[in-house]
Amino acid sequence: MKGIVKGMGVTLKNLTKKKITYQYPDVPLQMPDRFRGVQHFDPEKCIVCNQCMNICPTECIDLVGKKNPDPEKKGKVIDTYDINFEICILCDLCTEVCPTEAIVMTNNFELATYSRDDLFKNMEWLNDNNTNVRKENSINLQPKSIPSKAKKEVK
Amino acid sequence: MIRTEELLLNVGPQHPSTHGVFRIIVKLDGEVITEATPVIGYLHRGTEKLAENLTYTQVIPYTDRMDYVSAMTNNYVLCHAVETLMDLEIPERAEFLRLIVMELQRIASHLVWWGTYLLDIGAMSPFLYAFREREMIINMFNELCGARLTYFYMRVGGVKWDAPEGWIDKVRDFIPYMRDKLDEYEQLVSGNEIFLARVKGVGKYDAQTAIDYGLSGANLRSTGVKFDLRKNQPYSIYDRFEFDVPVQTEGDCYARYLVRFEEIKQSLRILEQAVEQFPEDGKIMAKVPRVIRPPEGEVYTRIESPRGEIGCHIVSKKKPQPYRLKFRRPSFVNLQILPKLLVGETMTNLVTILGGIDIVLGEVDG
Amino acid sequence: MSDQKHVTEMDPKEAKKEIEENEVVEIVEPSPNQAKLDRLVDLVKSNIAEDAVEEAYINELDRDLPSIVIRSPYWLKTAMMLKESETLKLNYLRNVSGIDYETYFEVVYYLLSMSTDNQQDICIKIKADREDPSIPSVTSVWNTANWNEREIYDLLGIQFPGHPNLKRIMMPEDWEGHPLRKDYEPIDPEV
Ligand code: SF4
Ligand code: SF4
Repeated sequence: MKGIVKGMGVTLKNLTKKKITYQYPDVPLQMPDRFRGVQHFDPEKCIVCNQCMNICPTECIDLVGKKNPDPEKKGKVIDTYDINFEICILCDLCTEVCPTEAIVMTNNFELATYSRDDLFKNMEWLNDNNTNVRKENSINLQPKSIPSKAKKEVK
Repeated sequence: MIRTEELLLNVGPQHPSTHGVFRIIVKLDGEVITEATPVIGYLHRGTEKLAENLTYTQVIPYTDRMDYVSAMTNNYVLCHAVETLMDLEIPERAEFLRLIVMELQRIASHLVWWGTYLLDIGAMSPFLYAFREREMIINMFNELCGARLTYFYMRVGGVKWDAPEGWIDKVRDFIPYMRDKLDEYEQLVSGNEIFLARVKGVGKYDAQTAIDYGLSGANLRSTGVKFDLRKNQPYSIYDRFEFDVPVQTEGDCYARYLVRFEEIKQSLRILEQAVEQFPEDGKIMAKVPRVIRPPEGEVYTRIESPRGEIGCHIVSKKKPQPYRLKFRRPSFVNLQILPKLLVGETMTNLVTILGGIDIVLGEVDG
Repeated sequence: MSDQKHVTEMDPKEAKKEIEENEVVEIVEPSPNQAKLDRLVDLVKSNIAEDAVEEAYINELDRDLPSIVIRSPYWLKTAMMLKESETLKLNYLRNVSGIDYETYFEVVYYLLSMSTDNQQDICIKIKADREDPSIPSVTSVWNTANWNEREIYDLLGIQFPGHPNLKRIMMPEDWEGHPLRKDYEPIDPEV
């Protein structure tokens, strides 16, 4: 009996303490800056190098490039860019390899919908998703390609 | 004499006390179990097959999802295996960061176990206490690597992120806080007569059986075998720290409870030293080629995860993808002993024994 | 000619000794576990059969792990011997992996002794044919092997005669094929 009473004492003590639960979703949750949320995509920056598509472990990025409409400029511009959030695991690899920071992580995480089809996000949606963009992006771990700015941050 | 008919009872696959999708078919004679057949595989995702088409870096996020309660140690075992193959030297700071997160993870994992185990045997509130403290660890991880459960923090050659400012201090402050809370836990549960009656002498086995069944972790140490890979076959930088390997000799559920509880304290001890010795400065990533192509050969590395020995067996053919990647998953191996333990026990003890083994179904099914 | 070259590579003192002894110079890798491996091979050869050991080597990539390949007919007897032997007492089976090498299968056992102070891992490999692969089960020796062998049977299709309950464990009973085989083709690619 003694042990039970002792345990009850702990419970009583905690009864008067401040509550520790989050009031989500009434009060929005603030995620730390490094949080890997839904990506933001900037079509202007993308150089269609396909690196993000190739590194993605779940193959959930689909992108198509087209010739640059401006005949003066070389290279390609992005035409369509979709991420399937049914299978994206928000692993950060695509943002890690992107040389131009065209695709970056944001701290937004609310993706719940009533239909699976809504989880197919296209370029416009990803472009509009431009709030809470992560500050520390493109810390590329492959030593050769660390941009000098990011290098300082790594140290 | 009352004559009872044999009853075939199906527990799971969806049942809260099975900690995942685990099914067990038991034959009952009255209240007593005469035969138990576990059925697993409901969560089999074929990680090993998928890995054959992925590069080593791409496999790491998959390991997060194997033992999702202890993703950091899973990350480490794969990185460690590749690093052993490639004979890589890991920068000091990276090793410290790895060690700190692994020990924090051990505490978090044992807290989950502590809470859910007591929930299984009927105590509601410890679960809330344990998750309150676990939340602090999770928040620390979230700040460090941007995820709450599937961290993907370690990479071959080092870690992805350096500790943000003030992070180490947070870990430092967490240690006395957690010690304080452990005292509270002890008051709350360890002397509780109902709890003791439920776990003492239940699910007993001896050291010989434990070794024969290849048990590891607390399941093995509860029988008096002092075997902890951090001490016996040290990896990372564990040999620099002082800590004890808790052992109990009873081999019952209570012994396993005590071992895990003591392990939290020992992890705090390691953390305390690691935070003190944490290098001021330094790189967090070794020089790794852009495309990781380990030399041709074979390696088996093993580390002490919260659940026991987690191993990674790689057969490399000098390709960016592993030729064969096999994980020795401690939950899978530990679970084998369950049918043996259940025979002759009452139905109520099923959850006590199953919870005492501490399995994570994501890991059992690979 | 080639001997000459070797000699020059060695440090002078040793080279002199070698020349004095007038032996065939051979550069031996100074592996600390070579002696252990030799003892193990001797033990198997003297207790089981001369041709039980197919191959024995030190796996340098894996911290000089002593590894031996046992011919499959002798495996069960060897396993019993390894567990019972006074000097080795390999009573802890830590891992079993099955590998498909396309021309043959290989099952790898990692063993450890829990009752002696000598905590040295040993790696044992058994090869099996690609057609109708079969390896004697060692569940009677180490209970750990039970589910591990079932898993290998399930995913690679290797038979383990002597196993008490060789059924699929991960995949459903009616699954076709063995997914971890290199030539596995799923019936329904969408799954
Ligand atoms: S976060 Fe990972 S899974 Fe998602 S799109 Fe990027 S690389 Fe693919
Ligand atoms: S890696 Fe960046 S630049 Fe290259 S295709 Fe992807 S988003 Fe565009």
